[in-house]
Amino acid sequence: MELTFDNNIPIYIQLLEYMKIYLISGVFKCGEKLPSVRDFATTFKVNPNTMQKALAELESMNLIYTERTNGKYVTKDEKLIKKLKDEYAITLAKSYFNGMKKIGLGKADSIEYLERIDE
Amino acid sequence: MLNKLLKYDLKYMIKNMSIFYMLSIFFAITTRILFDIEQSVIINIIGQISVSCMFGMIASILINTMMKSWGRFRDSLYKDESYLTHTLPVTKNELYNSKFIQTLIFFFIGFIVIILSLFIAYYSKENWLSITNYIKTITAGLNMNTFFFIVMAIILIFLEVFNAIMCGFFGMILGHKKNNGKLGYSVLVGFIIYLIAQASIIALLFIYGLFDSSVMGLFKSGTISIDVNAFKTLAIIASILYLLIIYGISLLCKKELNKGVNVE
Amino acid sequence: MKLLEIKNLNKSFENKEILKDVNLSLSSGKIVGLLGKNGAGKTTLIKLINDLLTPTSGEILINGNKVGVETKKVISYLPERTYLNKQMKVSEVIDYFKDFYKDFDEKKAEKLLKDLDLDINQHLTKMSKGMQEKVQLVLVMSRNADLYILDEPLGGVDPATRDYILDTILSNFNENASVILSTHLISDIERILDEVIFIDKGKIVLQSDADKLRNKEKSSIDEIFRRMFKC
Repeated sequence: MELTFDNNIPIYIQLLEYMKIYLISGVFKCGEKLPSVRDFATTFKVNPNTMQKALAELESMNLIYTERTNGKYVTKDEKLIKKLKDEYAITLAKSYFNGMKKIGLGKADSIEYLERIDE
Repeated sequence: MLNKLLKYDLKYMIKNMSIFYMLSIFFAITTRILFDIEQSVIINIIGQISVSCMFGMIASILINTMMKSWGRFRDSLYKDESYLTHTLPVTKNELYNSKFIQTLIFFFIGFIVIILSLFIAYYSKENWLSITNYIKTITAGLNMNTFFFIVMAIILIFLEVFNAIMCGFFGMILGHKKNNGKLGYSVLVGFIIYLIAQASIIALLFIYGLFDSSVMGLFKSGTISIDVNAFKTLAIIASILYLLIIYGISLLCKKELNKGVNVE
Repeated sequence: MKLLEIKNLNKSFENKEILKDVNLSLSSGKIVGLLGKNGAGKTTLIKLINDLLTPTSGEILINGNKVGVETKKVISYLPERTYLNKQMKVSEVIDYFKDFYKDFDEKKAEKLLKDLDLDINQHLTKMSKGMQEKVQLVLVMSRNADLYILDEPLGGVDPATRDYILDTILSNFNENASVILSTHLISDIERILDEVIFIDKGKIVLQSDADKLRNKEKSSIDEIFRRMFKC
C-alpha cells in the first residue's frame, strides 16, 4: 500500500491520520493484532522510526496498546473508536460547510446538495 | 588479507600478460622450425620476420611488465579504483606488499619466458660455443666460469630493472602528494630517485674499493685484465646494494602510504 | 558509544579550508540526510570518514575506533563514481566482495541483481555507466554493515529505479545500522529521513530531527533548504 505524503507536514503526523482512518473504517478491528512496526514500515514504505512514532502517538491516545511479548493490538474499547469516528465525521462535515459558506451557500442548501449527490 | 589482494593482483597480470608470453614462445618455436628446415630465400625471409616478432614480443614483455606494474600501482592507489582499494579492510602495508610481490613474480616469470624463448629459438651446441667464446674474449684472462658470468649478468640486470620499478613506485607516491601535475611530478621524482640510487651504488662500491685494492683496480685500471675475484666481489656487493636499496625504498613507500592518501 | 563521532574536524587543501571545525554525532538505527550545495563539503566529509582523505586536524571515530581496518569492516560506501575493475564480470566482482567482506550476503546480491535486470555473467566493460552504478549499489546494499554511506545514489537514475533504491534502503534498515544519504534531490528522499544535516561552505549549519524541523518551520525540508541557501 503506497501512501502519499505531503513533505510540508511532519510525516509521523500524516501516518497517524492514516492509521486513525484505518481504525475508524475497520481495516483494523477492535482487539485485532496489528502487524509489527517493521511490517507496517515495509508496507507503507516509510522509515520504521517514523512508524514507531506514529504508533506511540496512537498508544498515548489509548487507541492501541502493547502486550509485552505479543505485540501491538487495537483497543477493545469500541466506544473510543466510535468517539474517534464521530470526531472525524464532524471535522469532515465542518469542512464541507465551510467550503459551501465560501461560495455563499448556507446549511440548508448544503444539506440539499448532499441529498442530490449519488451515494 | 594479503593473500586475497595478491590473488587479484596476480589474476590481473596473468590476464594482461599471457598473450605476450604465448606469442613470444610461439615465435621462438617458429623461428627454430624455420631455421632448422631446408633454407630457401622465402623461408629465410619468413624466418627473419619470425625472429623480429620474437624479439618484438620479448621487448613487449619487458616494457609491459614495467608499464603495467606502474599502471596498476597508480590505478589501484590513486585513480577511480582506489575508492574501492582504500575502503577494503586491509592495511596500507598489505596493499603495498601485494603490489611488490606481484611485480616481483611477474618480472621473474617475464625473465624466464624470455630466456626460454631465446633458448628455444637459438640453442644448439654450436651457438652456445660461439656465445661462450665471445664472452671469453670479454673476460680474457679470467678463469671465470662462463655460466657464472651469464648468471651474474642476468641477476644484476634483473635487480637493476626491479630497482627502477621501485623508484617508479616511490616517485608515484611522492608525486601524488602534489595537487597539480601529479603525473609530471611522479615521473620527475621517480627519475631523480633512480639517479640517486644508481649514484649511491657506484659511490658505495668506490668506498668499498678504498678498503679492497683489487676492487679499486676495477675503477682505476683501463684494461680488462682484472682479478676474477674482484669482479666476483663487485658483482656480489652490487647485488647486496641493490637489495638494500629495494628494501629501503619499500620501507619509505610504506611509511609515506601510512601517512594517508588524498585521493581525488 | 555512538556509531559515528566527528570532533573538531578540519580539512584544507593548498591553504583553502574545505571543512571547518566539523562536529557531528550519529547513533545507530537512523537514516540521515547530508544535504548541501555543490562544493559545500559533503563529499570531502564522506571521503574523510572512508580514509580516502586525511584530516588536517580533528578526529573521526566509528564505534569508538579511529579510521582504519576495523572501521572499514563495518562501513559500506557507495561513491559517486564507478570504482570497479572493468575487466571483471559481475560474478567476479561478487566473489571479490565476498572475499574481502565477511558481512557480504551473496544471496541478497543475486536477488537485487535480478530485480534490477542485471546479468551476473556480463562483463562490466559491456555495461552502460548507469548499469555499472546499479551493480555498485547492489554490492553496497548486500553488505550487513553498521554504517552505509551513499553519495548521490539517486543521481543518474530513472524514477522507477529511484523508488527501488529507496525501498531497498528501507527494507535494509535495522536498529544496529545507520544510513547517511548525501544528495541534492531532497524532495525525493526527505520522507524517509530521520535526521537532516545541512552543510554549507564547509560548516555544519544544522542538525535536526526531520519531523521536528518540519513542525518548527511549517515547511518541507526541501523548502527550508531553498530558503536557507537562496542564491
